[in-house]
Amino acid sequence: MVLTSSDGPAIETHGIRRVFESRKGFLFRERTRTEALRGVDLTVERGAIFGLLGPNGAGKTTLTKILSTLLLPTEGTALVLGHDVRKETAWLRPRMGLVLGGERGLYNRISGRDNLRYFADLFGIPLAERDKRIREVLERVDLAHAADRRVEEFSRGMKQRLHLARGILHRPEILFLDEPTMGLDPKSARETRKLIRSLVADGVTIFLTTHYMFEAEELCPRLAILSEGRVVARDTVDALRTLVGGDRTIEIEDYGFDDYEIEGLRRLPGVSYVVSEEFGPRLRLTLRVRTLETTAEHVRQALPAHPDLALRDRRTSLEDVYLQLVTEEAS
Amino acid sequence: MSVALGTAYSRRRSTFAALRLSVLLFMADPQWLIPSMIAPVIFGLVSFELFRGYGTYYLTYAILGAGMMSMWGQTLYGSGWATGQDREFGTLEPTIQAPTPYLYVVLGRVLWNVVSGLIGGAIVYLVVVAVAGGPPALPDPAAFVVLFLFVMLTLAAVGVVFAAFYVYTRYAGFIQNIGEFAFYIGTGCMFPVVFLPFWTNPISLIFPPTWALDALRFEAIPGYQGFSWGFWPDIAGAVATTTAYLALAGSFFHRVERHVLEEGTLSDY
Repeated sequence: MVLTSSDGPAIETHGIRRVFESRKGFLFRERTRTEALRGVDLTVERGAIFGLLGPNGAGKTTLTKILSTLLLPTEGTALVLGHDVRKETAWLRPRMGLVLGGERGLYNRISGRDNLRYFADLFGIPLAERDKRIREVLERVDLAHAADRRVEEFSRGMKQRLHLARGILHRPEILFLDEPTMGLDPKSARETRKLIRSLVADGVTIFLTTHYMFEAEELCPRLAILSEGRVVARDTVDALRTLVGGDRTIEIEDYGFDDYEIEGLRRLPGVSYVVSEEFGPRLRLTLRVRTLETTAEHVRQALPAHPDLALRDRRTSLEDVYLQLVTEEAS
Repeated sequence: MSVALGTAYSRRRSTFAALRLSVLLFMADPQWLIPSMIAPVIFGLVSFELFRGYGTYYLTYAILGAGMMSMWGQTLYGSGWATGQDREFGTLEPTIQAPTPYLYVVLGRVLWNVVSGLIGGAIVYLVVVAVAGGPPALPDPAAFVVLFLFVMLTLAAVGVVFAAFYVYTRYAGFIQNIGEFAFYIGTGCMFPVVFLPFWTNPISLIFPPTWALDALRFEAIPGYQGFSWGFWPDIAGAVATTTAYLALAGSFFHRVERHVLEEGTLSDY
């Protein structure tokens, strides 16, 4: 079978490793090696949003840059739209969009429209369509009113939207978004998420990295969690809840719990995970509960020495899943 | 939607897009007035005083000296600097990520620097003519103009290769600053290379402008004592070295891009 751009997964990686070497000193050069990715295996299906979560320094941007042909892996293979990112950059680049975002990456002294015109030419958008397409994307990111203003006059949110406009200008099949809502006010962030959803409706595959759990939960049917260069989990949000031991979380707070009490909580039916953390002068215990067998009342009964216990019984959030997995990986 | 990228048309279009971008950035930033408009006036005045009284053709020496000084900065230094600016702005990554090979973007940036250098050269000419009270005696003004443009082409060829260093490392500007004066003297921009110690000549001949400038002086200054081989071998040397620089530039840029993708230094600034 001949693999075309419409067959197979959008992204497939096997054992991606990336090592950065830096050198310090002049006469006595000291080399430092940092392993940013330690064997990443991922498969991303076409036509959906795939989320990549992870703490700072987990390797999210490194992986995004490898997949978007801006960085070579030290080891491993990465196929995007069925083509090797190492060898087939000429085929891939016209078909992928990249939004790294932030204050940099734009020509600030010229207008937003001129920025887009320049990149439209570099992407070979036919001249007959170019200006119309620029108008379309400016309207889509709600920048038509400011198109002829210098980018240096733009707010952070407007710059972010211009980055997005550039990313979708050439109608890519796959779009890489690296923390697209970072630093945006809530309204701009919501509009950006709306735009991302509308791109998926157009058939674009989106690979999104983010720090915001609610954003990932809202946008991404499937996601992966990256920690210290390794994928520690990948699945749907519901499946990840199951993975971490239950879709219910009970949080309790009081001034200190002894080991005997904590062990007692662990023995309650359906409780798969108990972790404690200091919360101001108080201690907070987080229980992951797999079934409905253990109720808030059972927890109260297990802690008779704490009559004024603050207790919250809620659905396990993606943030809970993330924190548990990242903490376990780190330890 | 994309046209067949990698065609001569798309590459040409990218080069003109980069040229247009350079013009827009130039117009948007008043600081460019200093190297492109004010510096040539100063160079012209200094050069006139420096060469005044040195023979019949001192005006031609003054114009060539100051003109080259101005154009050298604009064309050669400016070409590398434009790539350094992309690195600083963070626009190098999205530009490299675009399907057009970066070499064609650099060619567009260099093209503008050539135009800008010519404007500087014209200002020098007008300043020297104004203070001298008349134009220099040129045996063949048309040939002078053609050779002047040829010198610009040789400078541009070196500029393209220099730009690759700015892609290679964020320290390229630092390295270029160190080499600036040596290159300027070594290629005979201010005075003929034959005035330099003989052992420096082989190094000078690696650079196309050395040959082209010597040919220009042979043409413009009767009785000029340049390289012993004379005008036509100078032209042949300039054509050969320029062709070699341009031919190597494609492979050089490809290797440099591969290197920065391996090292992960594209976003460093």
